[in-house]
Amino acid sequence: MRSFAQSLSARLRATAVALVQIAGLYAVTLACNAVARWLHLPVPGSILGVALVFALLQLGVVKLRWIERGADLLIRELLLFFIPSSVGVMTYAPLMRQDGWKIVAVVVVGTLLVMTVTGGVAEAVWRARNRRPRLEQDPSREASAS
Amino acid sequence: MTWLGLVSTLVCYAACKALYRRFHVVFLNPMITSLIALVLFLHFTHTSYAAYDASARWLTALLGPATVAFAVPLHRHFHVLKAHWPEFLVSLTFGSATGITGSVLLARLLRLNHVVVTSIAPRSVTTPIAMDIAQAIGGIPTLTAVFVILTGITGVIVGPWLLRLLRLQSPVARGALFGMGSHGIGTARAFEYGAMEGTCSSLAMIVAAFITLGLAPPLVHALG
Repeated sequence: MRSFAQSLSARLRATAVALVQIAGLYAVTLACNAVARWLHLPVPGSILGVALVFALLQLGVVKLRWIERGADLLIRELLLFFIPSSVGVMTYAPLMRQDGWKIVAVVVVGTLLVMTVTGGVAEAVWRARNRRPRLEQDPSREASAS
Repeated sequence: MTWLGLVSTLVCYAACKALYRRFHVVFLNPMITSLIALVLFLHFTHTSYAAYDASARWLTALLGPATVAFAVPLHRHFHVLKAHWPEFLVSLTFGSATGITGSVLLARLLRLNHVVVTSIAPRSVTTPIAMDIAQAIGGIPTLTAVFVILTGITGVIVGPWLLRLLRLQSPVARGALFGMGSHGIGTARAFEYGAMEGTCSSLAMIVAAFITLGLAPPLVHALG
């Protein structure tokens, strides 16, 4: 019983830490949005935030453990944050009824093109570079999951 | 009633995720099932999108910090980016240019409305950034959000099939394909192939956002 209580309190503490870290990331986003608007930067605040936090992590000013629990949680549940905007499709019902199939066609054909070009070019560059003697092995390569 | 949007989205997401974990079929991707379930739910309960979004928007607000959170994998896996920067740089520049030009030309070919054309152009990057780009080039950000999601879902469906068809051997190419082609939604899928694929997909998604940000305004301008 005691170990259950301990593991529960550890989990609660871990969640609380993640939530505090998310609040911190949210504050950074708001600050970056304000700066981007204030300086009329052509870059959205969130991109400014990525660059800033990345630079601070690289310089060692911000420690990974200060933000990684919150960051990992946000990234793991990324799909959740897309859902409300995607439900917004219902407000465009007339447009979708009128042009829906055309829009789907553009998106499907466009995505096929983008993926083929990106994957194909990356593979070609990778092969060209690997023709030379092996420089290094991919470090985090793991067995395929599916 | 304010909590309706938030609660229904959380419950629906948890259920759809459990369903996907149980059956693991492409069409049961939690993004697709949650969207369909929620639209049906709002339709049958006669709830307007505005009422739903009153509290559901708190989740959308987390897209900003979620984007900033990508600084963590970028920092953690910076050695991967450094080791494979030519693959990333070249493929994502081509991919990004293809995404913008392809969308604009196809949309114009099908005689879609001008606002739809500018809203559809930045659809290949992650939502918050795509919405900002749309704003900058004269599109409607909310419409762009819908196109971005549609792109993500399409990418998740056609991606695995394309991987087999193109016979991609390198995890960098597989990851780049998902990260560029279907951003966050594809990155979730790429992690199912392996840690390296997922890592490359998230790296590709971040780098693609930077590249598209630079390419979209001049390209859309040049295409008239």
